[in-house]
Amino acid sequence: MISVADLLTNNRVPGNYFATDVYVRSDLELGLLENRRGDRLLALPETLIQSIYAGLDKETGQATRLVLFNCGKWWGKNFYTRFRDELTDYYGQALSDMTMAEFLQCLQQCWVTHGWGKIELDHQFQQRGFLVIKSWNSPFAKQAPQGTRPVCYFEAGILSSFFSQLTGRDLHCVQTTCESLGADANHFVLGLEKRLGAIAEMVEQQTDHDTIMGKLCA
Amino acid sequence: MHPQIEALFDQAESRYLKPEELGLLNQYVDSLPARLTAYRTLRDRELDIMQPVADQLQAELPQEKLEQLERAIKNALLTLRYCAMGMLLNDDTFVKERLVGWLGGTMSLYNNATINTTLYRLLHQRLSEVLGNSTTSLLTPHLLMAQTLLHELTPQT
Repeated sequence: MISVADLLTNNRVPGNYFATDVYVRSDLELGLLENRRGDRLLALPETLIQSIYAGLDKETGQATRLVLFNCGKWWGKNFYTRFRDELTDYYGQALSDMTMAEFLQCLQQCWVTHGWGKIELDHQFQQRGFLVIKSWNSPFAKQAPQGTRPVCYFEAGILSSFFSQLTGRDLHCVQTTCESLGADANHFVLGLEKRLGAIAEMVEQQTDHDTIMGKLCA
Repeated sequence: MHPQIEALFDQAESRYLKPEELGLLNQYVDSLPARLTAYRTLRDRELDIMQPVADQLQAELPQEKLEQLERAIKNALLTLRYCAMGMLLNDDTFVKERLVGWLGGTMSLYNNATINTTLYRLLHQRLSEVLGNSTTSLLTPHLLMAQTLLHELTPQT
């Protein structure tokens, strides 16, 4: 027999934690943005993102990619901790006890609410040791200077660090397609660094995503 | 708050409200005691409403997995809470946004059309028994909208 009372968690039915109107709060007088737990949120003006790209390029040239990737890794590390703590508090269960669909829904909603666009996971290559992540409407791709290679190093760093902590494996992340190059979505491939080694050159030669995945899994 | 009423307050910043605008506000305020009573009943008798629905659902669909039935009931509890708030605020968009944000996307894989059809039939029956017709009529539009939305969010098999 189903006991309805047992389906409630402290008389709550947890829903969408990251619902935008509930999650983001602002204090007009103080000019502050906070999330629903009272943690500070930071709004990044488009000009700042553009300036970060331009400034780094001027100061560090080619190393920009590495700098942004490492900044993303650092951010991703803290982001994961916060994400885990918030969800554990709200849903009353450990991240590892959530169903895959619930976890993904939360991650996707979290991405949207933070203004990072839409995100989707593609498990097609999971058996081969790769996880593909697709994102749309990335502000980091939109504000990046036009170039010949994908530019979302920052997001790649975040994803690398986030999924490394989630899986307990040291995962690297390489972007294969980019909205800034006219692609319909950004594709990121996650996997062990030594197995992703061959990708860099193919990305450099602007090989398309499907061909890259075909070669990786061959 | 009802978006139309919210807009009304915004527009009336530098003038008096017109009679028809006041009428809209009056309508909402007049209906508020009934909405509050319905909300209190739903809140206080939630288990009393849902438990018989859960029992009957299990009896009618013995072939369905317990886990799926429990998930559907849990979602119905959440939906009913959203609808109760939607009814109190007289705001459809509240229910819509909450439901799409949580039961759409990846979570929609869990939506089961067979279970939900039976579940919502039983829920409507139970609600009219517990709330009576006049109170049910306040809640029904929100619940029907949620049901339609849920149906749209269910992957076609």
